[in-house]
Amino acid sequence: MMHGWRGDLLAVGRGAAPFALILIAWALVTRANVLPAMFLPPPADVARTGWDMLKDGSLWTNIGASVGRVLVSLVISVPLAVGLGIFVGLRRRLSPVFEPIAGFFNSLSGIAWLPLAVTWFGLGWVSVIFIMFNTIFFLVFYNTLVGVRSVPRIFEHAVRTLGGSRRHIIFQVLIPGAMPNIVTGIRMSIGFGWRALIAAEMIATSTGLGFLIYNASNFHQTDTILVGIVTIGILWLLTDRLVLQPIERWTVERWGLVSSSR
Amino acid sequence: MERHWEIVSTWVLILAATIAAWSLGAATLPVPDYFLPPPSAVLSAFVELIAKGMLPIFVAESLRRIVLAALLGLFVGVPIGLLLGVSRVTADFAYPVLNFFQSVSGIAWLPLMLIWFGFGERTILVAVNYTVLFPVIFNALLGIRSVPQIYVNALRTLGASRWRIVRDVLLPGALPNIAMGVRLGLAYGWRALIAAEMLVGANGLGFMIFNAQTFHLTARIMLGMGIIGALWVVLDYFLLRPLEEATIARWGMVQR
Amino acid sequence: MTAKITIRGLGHEYVNPFTRERVVALDGVDLEVAEGEFLTVVGPSGCGKTTLLNVLAGLLPKTRGTVLLDGREVRGPGPDRGVVFQEFAIMPWRTVEKNIAHGLEIQSVPKEERSAIVRRFVELVGLRGFERKYPHELSGGMKQRVAVARTLAANPEVMLMDEPFASVDSQTRITLQEELNAIAQATRKTILFVTHNVEEAVFLGDRCCVLSGRPGRVKALVPVGIPRARRRWNLLMSDGTFDAAKEKVFGLVREEVGKEV
Ligand SMILES: Nc1ncnc2c1ncn2[C@@H]1O[C@H](COP(=O)(O)OP(=O)(O)OP(=O)(O)O)[C@@H](O)[C@H]1O
Ligand SMILES: [Mg+2]
Repeated sequence: MMHGWRGDLLAVGRGAAPFALILIAWALVTRANVLPAMFLPPPADVARTGWDMLKDGSLWTNIGASVGRVLVSLVISVPLAVGLGIFVGLRRRLSPVFEPIAGFFNSLSGIAWLPLAVTWFGLGWVSVIFIMFNTIFFLVFYNTLVGVRSVPRIFEHAVRTLGGSRRHIIFQVLIPGAMPNIVTGIRMSIGFGWRALIAAEMIATSTGLGFLIYNASNFHQTDTILVGIVTIGILWLLTDRLVLQPIERWTVERWGLVSSSR
Repeated sequence: MERHWEIVSTWVLILAATIAAWSLGAATLPVPDYFLPPPSAVLSAFVELIAKGMLPIFVAESLRRIVLAALLGLFVGVPIGLLLGVSRVTADFAYPVLNFFQSVSGIAWLPLMLIWFGFGERTILVAVNYTVLFPVIFNALLGIRSVPQIYVNALRTLGASRWRIVRDVLLPGALPNIAMGVRLGLAYGWRALIAAEMLVGANGLGFMIFNAQTFHLTARIMLGMGIIGALWVVLDYFLLRPLEEATIARWGMVQR
Repeated sequence: MTAKITIRGLGHEYVNPFTRERVVALDGVDLEVAEGEFLTVVGPSGCGKTTLLNVLAGLLPKTRGTVLLDGREVRGPGPDRGVVFQEFAIMPWRTVEKNIAHGLEIQSVPKEERSAIVRRFVELVGLRGFERKYPHELSGGMKQRVAVARTLAANPEVMLMDEPFASVDSQTRITLQEELNAIAQATRKTILFVTHNVEEAVFLGDRCCVLSGRPGRVKALVPVGIPRARRRWNLLMSDGTFDAAKEKVFGLVREEVGKEV
């Protein structure tokens, strides 16, 4: 018998090895003194700064602000977008009209909303949420709509010939059938939303990871910037592992449908 | 054909209703003028910026940057991803690193790049190219690794060499993911460009709408947004769609 | 007659890489296939027929036993053994004719000769007019015919076929079965042919190998003493030898299927 945890440990090791190599290369470069420390501080300095920021709570505050904004925007936008997407998707006359409109707003998603947001809501939370809402809502709405529309009619016919009602068709055919697209939409919206957030925080707020790194750059605090970047990367990997992958596993992969966009 | 007309006429209806409501709102709502300029103001902003010659320059600058990044992604990013993906060992090694770097957008690196490359064109280019490159490389690698084993087996039983398996199976099999990666990379890149132009630029569409905000030229912001959205639609339609249609759509491999 | 393929004590185990669960698919298979013999393999679903074929093709490593081809141990796949896969495995990015030509391209057959061969096999499997179509534009049965034609065109010594006619309509199936019989007669190829269909197994096989339920092993070998030239459906409609062999194989398979439920 192989022990499961030993396999896990091996996998973690294999995943960490490339990063260890990068760290060593980074340490060597800084040791060689070819770049001023302002350009690239040694990894030990960055680790120390990171540790200090964890201890005095400033990193936690900024993480909390960023993650909080993502969560609030998701909670507001996703249910609305899925609901409306299904509602419109079910109407065979409405959906071809709305598909390109939603597509257009998708191509506008993200940071392009910032100047308008600041004009309307000033600097602060509301502007950021407004930008995030526009990013997340249209992506999820569009994907849900397309998902519902692209469920093969044959499943619908199958349920109908089994005597299924409209309710059956909606809940047992169209929603599960659209699930891969909905999950893809949510995944994409978190990706786009998170990026829009970082950019928006640089300009429109005075908290959050985006603000942290942008502000640090004004004072040439390269170590703080690197702490921020690493934090952003880790947060994304955690989101992917703890939220997105489980969602996919419990829906589309269990049914053997694969949504492979990342 | 009839359906088509129905859709178009519905659009015209929706558009007309939106413009009417917008005009009415702009005229009657008790808010300052810059809060909600009427549609006519957006139109005159358009005419004004064309007449001054600013708009064509801004559009050209933004397009030049994104097209450059697209070319780099296609001709450098894709080959790198494919090379890394062909061997199991390099793929396993590169995967977590690429995943990390593609998840940190170019915008997050911008503060660092400002220190490295200064406030200017170089920083914008690096940020945008970085943003495009990593999703492209990552997805090309993923594409190679996710070609169904059954195709590889079929070719092995026909006596194919390793190189031929790469050429006849792995490359075409990876194309759906490659197309997806290019699309995603450019979508991220376009947004990173707008953000970088806001933060750094002295030209480009991002700069235009950001600068307009400081002067409360809201009509100009709305105009810029419309152009940013429209340009992406055009880019998508004339660059990315044809790429897909020539390959994976013809093979019935589109999963959209 | 010398043995083309010799299998002794062959076992295969699948190990799920995540849960480490083991499935014994084959256990102690002993089998000899003579040069130029047409051997059909039947057995209940999931008994390991595909597994056996893949081990022979060199695509799956065996867990136990020996597999010899012309007295030499099988190590990896080669153009001497052509495979028709249960899932077709034709490339979606190649047209019908390009798919059929694939093996010939790999063997660097010159272009003119190649297109002549391709034309012949397109004709044989009844796909004329579809040469320039992509697989997604074909029906399931047509895809399967492309897969058969690809393997035939590559002209291997041994053909390993995994339910190649399963999704073909019954009319086409009859044609293909008779064509395959004619090819077997003309080329004297060694063929291992897996099928669910007992009638087909008896129609095509010099011998019919019945596998037991999982883990698969050879339950019986039923010889079918009908000369190739007589194997045409209209001649076998009321043929005593054919019916007797069919009855026998049916009985053996039914015993195995009965055990499972
Ligand atoms: N990749 C795999 N991993 C784990 N178990 C497998 C795998 N492939 C097949 N098996 C198991 O091995 C057994 C034999 O499978 P195989 O595909 O050889 O059956 P088969 O006889 O070809 O069935 P069928 O007639 O339905 O095609 C089955 O019980 C199956 O569950
Ligand atoms: Mg099988």
